[in-house]
Amino acid sequence: MTDLAFEVRDVSYRYQQVPALDGLSLEIRRGERVALLGANGSGKSTLLRLLAALHFPDRGDILYFGESLSERRLQDEEFFFRFRRRVGVVFQNPDIQLFNPSVFDEVAFGPLQLRWPRDQIRGRVYETLETMGISRLADRAPHRLSGGEKKRVALASVLVLDPEILLLDEPAAALDPGSQSQITDFLVSWGGGSKTVVTATHDLDTLEDIADRCYVLENGKVAGEGAPLAILHDVPLLERTKLVRPHHHVHDPSAPQPGPHPHLHRRP
Amino acid sequence: MHIPDGYLSPSTCAGFYAASVPFWYAALRRLRHALHTRMLPLLSVFSAFSFVIMMFNLPLPGGTTGHAVGMGVSAIVLGPWASILAISIALVIQAVFFGDGGITAIGANCFNMAIAGSLVAYAVYRVAAYRAAIGSTRRVVAAGLAGYLAINTAALLAAVEFGVQPLFFHDAAGSPLYAPYPLAVSIPAMMIGHLTIAGLAELIISAGLVAWLQRTDPGLLERTAPDAAAGPSVRKLWLGLAVLLVLTPLGILAVGGAWGEWSARDFADPQVRRQIAAASANHAPPQRAPSGLQRLSTIWTAPLSGYAPAFIRNAPIGYLVSAAAGTSLILLCGLLLKQLLPDRRRRRKTFIEKTTTTLARALQHAFFAEETANSGGFLQRLDPRVKLVGIGSLIAATVAVHQLWMLAAILALAVVLARLSRITLRNLSTRVWIAVLVFTGAIALPAIFLTPGEAIYRLPVLGWPVTSQGLRSAALLFLRAETTATLSVLLILTTLWPHLLHALRFFRVPVVVVVLLGMTYRYIFLLLETAREISESREARQVGVMQPADRRRLAAATAGVLLSKSLWVSGEVHMAMLARGFRGEVYLLEDLRLRWNDWLPLGALTAIAAAAIWFGR
Repeated sequence: MTDLAFEVRDVSYRYQQVPALDGLSLEIRRGERVALLGANGSGKSTLLRLLAALHFPDRGDILYFGESLSERRLQDEEFFFRFRRRVGVVFQNPDIQLFNPSVFDEVAFGPLQLRWPRDQIRGRVYETLETMGISRLADRAPHRLSGGEKKRVALASVLVLDPEILLLDEPAAALDPGSQSQITDFLVSWGGGSKTVVTATHDLDTLEDIADRCYVLENGKVAGEGAPLAILHDVPLLERTKLVRPHHHVHDPSAPQPGPHPHLHRRP
Repeated sequence: MHIPDGYLSPSTCAGFYAASVPFWYAALRRLRHALHTRMLPLLSVFSAFSFVIMMFNLPLPGGTTGHAVGMGVSAIVLGPWASILAISIALVIQAVFFGDGGITAIGANCFNMAIAGSLVAYAVYRVAAYRAAIGSTRRVVAAGLAGYLAINTAALLAAVEFGVQPLFFHDAAGSPLYAPYPLAVSIPAMMIGHLTIAGLAELIISAGLVAWLQRTDPGLLERTAPDAAAGPSVRKLWLGLAVLLVLTPLGILAVGGAWGEWSARDFADPQVRRQIAAASANHAPPQRAPSGLQRLSTIWTAPLSGYAPAFIRNAPIGYLVSAAAGTSLILLCGLLLKQLLPDRRRRRKTFIEKTTTTLARALQHAFFAEETANSGGFLQRLDPRVKLVGIGSLIAATVAVHQLWMLAAILALAVVLARLSRITLRNLSTRVWIAVLVFTGAIALPAIFLTPGEAIYRLPVLGWPVTSQGLRSAALLFLRAETTATLSVLLILTTLWPHLLHALRFFRVPVVVVVLLGMTYRYIFLLLETAREISESREARQVGVMQPADRRRLAAATAGVLLSKSLWVSGEVHMAMLARGFRGEVYLLEDLRLRWNDWLPLGALTAIAAAAIWFGR
């Protein structure tokens, strides 16, 4: 069996007549944590949906452990269940992801769809709610939850299946800093490092925590690739792809003047 | 338009449930394959959209506002069968969760609005749009016409359902037991409002949204457009429309005397007998007049009798005059009571402010319901199935009993149950009693004067007689409406919606219906929030006074933005479902066992209901 979880080969995809991906190629190894960086509209969310086999490429090919992910392949029930079981997707907007009337039903949806034995499902759902620290929400309706709680429920609804590959679209978007760090901490510790995690984000602060390797996307193509630190130091790349804004500041006047230069602010 | 509990007799309610079931069944069967695809989230989001659109106040000529049902646009976008389901689901959630429309009347309300409304809207749209291009103005006009005719058909059906009640259901003394007005009063009273206000609101929404879709998402109009694969031929639709017209009691009204309102003498006149037979699909009428008819034939002239000049005492003219008098009395009462509503303000609110208030109130109601359901009182601890059956049978008993004291006893029981379940009297009165007082009061009050019978008092100046039959009839209607509304609010304030859905599965409601109810309910809140945000931001930007045409355009555009958002949501939800293994089948985790200690309250509640029906006959 190949060690590549995903192999994206020269993929193009148009979304409602607008080109979203344009001849993009990349590889994601098993057990690797990869970040897809890019500004709004760079194609990272689209790529994530193609990896999740929710859309299919117009041109090019996506291989999942060496097997082509085509619409036809997904028609096969056995493959469909195997794929959905192993690949979990957390959408950016939890209001989309949470379509059930209660948190319990939400988390039970995946296992029910994958036809797990019913007596196992109940226990597994409570276990997952416990792990995510949201047992007390089990009977609540999703529309009554806070943003942070919704995000946790969305994560729980995917993690209940214990997927091997997790595809995350902006996991910390629109959360307050406290909830953000909780989600990040959870993802860092999840699966003890044996899981494959692909995160689409434009948040550079947590990059080193959540990824071993990054791809920078621009206009539906890969504009750069490398380890998080290398990418964070490649200021011209980050500026060009609109991930940081060009920005001058003045140093302490008593220190030797380095002259104006582009800067990245990193938190300690 | 939403018929509350207590206005229709149990047999009428049962009849309309029975009439609706084949349509629901046919719709589910026809959509069986479609529901395995994007249709499932689309249908539920559309249903939620229709729910929210019913809360939109639309500016109408003359400074009034009205609201639409959305059956026009849903029949055009989803096709007639899916539209039947979508509107039915919205109506069920309204009845059960928001107390808008009665639980026993769900069958009748769905028949009028979801079934007849969707079918008429679809047929009119197909016929009127014919083969016009997707983007043509003709389609916009056709959509407006479809919405207008659909809502008026629904209103007419409701009026007929009200109007036949006093004929068939009255006690020995002649007091109507349910809706008290005959067809001659109920039809004009309903139709005046719908031909003008509600009809126009539906017209604006249907036409406005089709125009919006032509610009933003024309693909959605193709399902019901000329080349749609499985659509019936236009000729068949013409035929269908013609049949509907014939069936419409309005058509029969034009033929002879009001259908079902032949005077007692008509039953003896051979020529009239032939007319009646022709109008009732060749069923010969009974030889003798039904006993109630004899008494009710004087209904028209009751308040005017003795004072009316001779020409009014002439039967046909008297009939018309008192019908007009009755109708205007009802409308007048409605207007007066509306003025007494608590939230009257010095400045008239704009339609946007009204919409924002309505939306906020719906959200607040949901919030309150969930808080109370979690608060752990007596009813809260019962199994949801026990509550559904127990309270359901109490509601049925309330509709079935004919004794005022028994109604009062059930109401007292409901109040006791409410107190045991930590619902205060203050909450009951602000949430239920005052609203019912205003609505049913406006309808029940004129019945005191309009019902023929023994006059026990005459109004000083007007000389209108208060009849004992009228008093009894008004009291029955009023108490029944208050009691059923109290009971249904008990159900929802003590039960979490997800639990209620699981209870439905116990009663063999198809899984796909339970899932649709759940998803619709979920997305109602998302769309309510979105609608409120849109309205609030419009409110914030609103400077100066708008021209009426601009106001209508703005309202339609707001609904359009909400529709686009709804459609986007439905596509996204489908993705999210697929990602978690949705392959067209939906499953629920159900635990159908009843604990032994659930049987006791279940037995008690149903026994009380049965006893009430027996002793309150």
